[in-house]
Amino acid sequence: MKFVDTSQNLRGRLMVVQIVAVLLLSVLGVRLYLLQVVRGSHYAEIAQNQRIRLLPITAPRGIIFDRDGHPLVDSRPIYNVILSREDVKGKELSSLVQPLSEGLGLDADILRDRFEEIKSLPAFESIPVKQDATPGDIAWIEARELEFPELRVEQQPQRRYPPNGLLAHVLGYVGEIGPEQLKHPEYRDKGLKPGDVMGQSGLEQSYDDFLRGRDGYRKVVVDSRGRIQDEIEIVLPQPGQDLITTIDLDLQLVAEEQLRNSATKRGVIVAMDPNNGEILALASAPTFDPNLFSQRIGTKEGRAEYVALLNDPDKALINRAIQSRYPPGSTWKIPMAIAGLQQGAITLEHSNLLCGGGITIGNKFTRCMGNHGTPDVRMAITKSCDGYFYRLGLKMGVEGIVAMVDQFDLNKRTGIDVPNEVNSRTPTEFKAIFDRRSQHWKEIDTVFASFGQVYEEMTPLSMLRTVAGVGLRGKLYVPHFLKELKPVGEAGTPDYRQARGFQPLDSSRPNPKIVSIPEKINQAVVEGMWSVVNNGGTGAGIRMAGFDIAGKTGTAQVVGLGKDVGKNKDHSWFVSYAPAYKPEISLIALIENSGFGNQHAAPAVRRVYDAYYRKTRNEEPPGALPVAKTAKPTRKTTEKPQDIQTVEGQ
Amino acid sequence: MSALLEKKSLRDFDWLLAFLAIGIVGFGTVQIRYAQPQEAYWVKQLIGLGIALIAMILVAVTDYRRLLAIAPAFYIFGLILLGIVLIPGIGLKINGQRAWIKVPGIGQFQPSEFVKVTTAMMLAWYFGKHRTQALKVPEMAVGGLILALPCILILLEPDVGSVLTYLPILFVVLFLSALRLRLVIGGIILALVLLPVAYWVGVQTNFVKPYQQERINVILDPEKADRRGFGYNTWQSILTVGEGGLLGAKTTSEHSQSSLKFLPEPHTDFIFAVAAGNAGFIGCILVLIAYAILLSRMITGARRAPDRPGMLVIMAIVGGLMFQIFINIGMELGLLPVIGVPLPLMSAGLASLIATFIAIGFAISVQLRRFVN
Repeated sequence: MKFVDTSQNLRGRLMVVQIVAVLLLSVLGVRLYLLQVVRGSHYAEIAQNQRIRLLPITAPRGIIFDRDGHPLVDSRPIYNVILSREDVKGKELSSLVQPLSEGLGLDADILRDRFEEIKSLPAFESIPVKQDATPGDIAWIEARELEFPELRVEQQPQRRYPPNGLLAHVLGYVGEIGPEQLKHPEYRDKGLKPGDVMGQSGLEQSYDDFLRGRDGYRKVVVDSRGRIQDEIEIVLPQPGQDLITTIDLDLQLVAEEQLRNSATKRGVIVAMDPNNGEILALASAPTFDPNLFSQRIGTKEGRAEYVALLNDPDKALINRAIQSRYPPGSTWKIPMAIAGLQQGAITLEHSNLLCGGGITIGNKFTRCMGNHGTPDVRMAITKSCDGYFYRLGLKMGVEGIVAMVDQFDLNKRTGIDVPNEVNSRTPTEFKAIFDRRSQHWKEIDTVFASFGQVYEEMTPLSMLRTVAGVGLRGKLYVPHFLKELKPVGEAGTPDYRQARGFQPLDSSRPNPKIVSIPEKINQAVVEGMWSVVNNGGTGAGIRMAGFDIAGKTGTAQVVGLGKDVGKNKDHSWFVSYAPAYKPEISLIALIENSGFGNQHAAPAVRRVYDAYYRKTRNEEPPGALPVAKTAKPTRKTTEKPQDIQTVEGQ
Repeated sequence: MSALLEKKSLRDFDWLLAFLAIGIVGFGTVQIRYAQPQEAYWVKQLIGLGIALIAMILVAVTDYRRLLAIAPAFYIFGLILLGIVLIPGIGLKINGQRAWIKVPGIGQFQPSEFVKVTTAMMLAWYFGKHRTQALKVPEMAVGGLILALPCILILLEPDVGSVLTYLPILFVVLFLSALRLRLVIGGIILALVLLPVAYWVGVQTNFVKPYQQERINVILDPEKADRRGFGYNTWQSILTVGEGGLLGAKTTSEHSQSSLKFLPEPHTDFIFAVAAGNAGFIGCILVLIAYAILLSRMITGARRAPDRPGMLVIMAIVGGLMFQIFINIGMELGLLPVIGVPLPLMSAGLASLIATFIAIGFAISVQLRRFVN
């Protein structure tokens, strides 16, 4: 110290300042050690995560074709408005309802519901706010990039279904995964997340795992406002597998036309190849527009349309072939005849039973539609003699009928590869109910169980499978729509998804199920069915020379006799296959509440046979019924979605 | 004679101090460029360094006694600058604070940074008289007044953060001017006790507003604080520092915290976080050591000063620098609430740079004349 310093310990005080300086810097050093060395990797991870965002690129679903390669369902690229949650943190979602509903023309209530739904979910990357945004919407978002950095516009594929509800019940539809589904481990384990689109019905649902592609993603770097600055990585999506159905569009169009032109416009037509179970056509009327679910369900109008469909008294959403049960009426006589002969209740040599114009059990008379004398089994089928079958049923006993039900799988689902097939109800079920209630199964009940009216409610498909199986001497195939799922990707790579044909869902059930029917027995019943059309039977009106149809009409009462008018008219059935001795195609038609089978169902079936004949024989079928010209769907080609590009809202 | 003086000056010139300061500025400039690659802040910083070096040399070769003799003039000049900056049109308003004067070509000039030096000079001038006894109350009052005038003007800007960095200047001067030890110790104890009590009372009486409480809570637990609101700056700064790890972050410069604008004010208030992210723990410790050597070197200079004003002017500046470094880095490391003060020698800013180099010039000037008396 150069200057005189006596009043204070200046040297010491300077040392104190020195020490304080070092101390303060040491505190900083220790803190740095904690932040950088001890917790460095922790903070590094958080810092990384806040600037890296994974933007999914939705994979287009596989295209669905008919058996001749006509595209039935495809996807087109549309623009969706996406809300990214990462950027909406700290912002109240409900504050977005007002501006978004006004700016994008969305219904505020729907938007609010949606945000409410999303809030309860643990985590999501992004959710679609508006589907199929217009150029105006995109401009609106781009102009408000600073205000709503959490909004993005992304190109995504949208499912497009054929017009006029064509094949709607078969194709089904896709829809966004619902909140309930998300909680379900079955879906969660597949990695489905909110906003994902999945098959919700029909083939779209049953083959969802194959049709659904594998989404790609873009790994991008965003700035503090969530704006994309850079792309680190892009993994392109892998489209889903294309699905070739067994559907023959030509037959399908004719089948749908028959229902549209039918008396009540309600009914079912199914065409199946009896030799393998391939469904060639399945029409169920009335139908609906699946585009409602894939395109319009997010709008107010779409919701109203959906509610109307749910409340529709005609139940357009129902696939009548597999979800509706009808009394089979006289079509029930085919398995009855086979089983009666098999069980020895009648023999080929002595199959004659009295018609009697009906039967009296106790004091109750159950009538036949005519008086057929004492027909043999062939004639009983041909003329659809109820009296014969009352007596056959009594000879078989309820046990015989139950055995028949088992043999033909009548109390089981057919196993078709679309969801929600219902089980038919058979005497087996009713007998069990009787037993459970300790109710006595009387002779009259056996009579009732033998003519397809009281103790039977069959799905049309189940009935078709039975009759088609008889045509093949007891080979009952599982009906199905899948011909082939096309492979995707390069063989040998982990992304490769191989081709796949139809495999029954329930592998414990044999396909085909073999019902061993002695040839002569089978022939007798087939002769009966042949005669129905070709030998003056109840279906004589649709005879095709050189293409022998074997079939059975049915007229199923809806209410008691005498009241069968108007809305309560009988259901009209016709179940058949052709040619009778070398089956190529089997066909069933049911027209609801239209009256006699030979008047309504049989002509409808005949027109489908005509279409089949024209297609396979390349000539005009003999005695073809006049047909109204039906225009094919105009859309022929399918634009495969281009490389999906994402457009940011900036 | 003059040649001899030149030679002697060159020998006694504190080269270590000068080069340490230049080195820190150079390192800081690299970080500024990294933090704001699209902006010319780093160029301005280099221009500023040139100006600051000239100012330092001018101060260093001038006899500090002649400068201190007219300290009141400098002091008044400083007050005028602080007054001018308040005039709308001249003073530039940024983020609600009118604290900058626009200088064509170089950018903005923050008088409150520069006035620290003139205030330190004024305090050294006033307390530099020969001292035989402990500090008296009137003296302390005058010292308080000297500090209060610029502080009031700065509060009008308003810039509370800058005022905080002024207080240590007075503390150090008083401490070294024979302030009674019992007052020092009593004051420290009182502060340690009163601060939490005052805060508690403040919270209870709602004198400390909720948003201010939030800021304190952020410091107490940045992970749980509102990371998008009050805690945002602190949290992002911690992330940037933490990501640096031992040897520096592996992220490319385009994807860094500053480039993506997660880290606010990366070239000024948060420059140390940027440096910590780049250079990691090792680099940070080297910077802290550089600061420690710089301060120690100045304290050594003060110890060797030929007279009391020389000692005081250096130490006043040391006190200011020391606390400003601590407040700034402490804030960036989440130890202290966010206070907008620049980090001496590293943050981009002309006034801060010039003021710091003038201060270093004083230290050199004092040292050069340690044998001349």
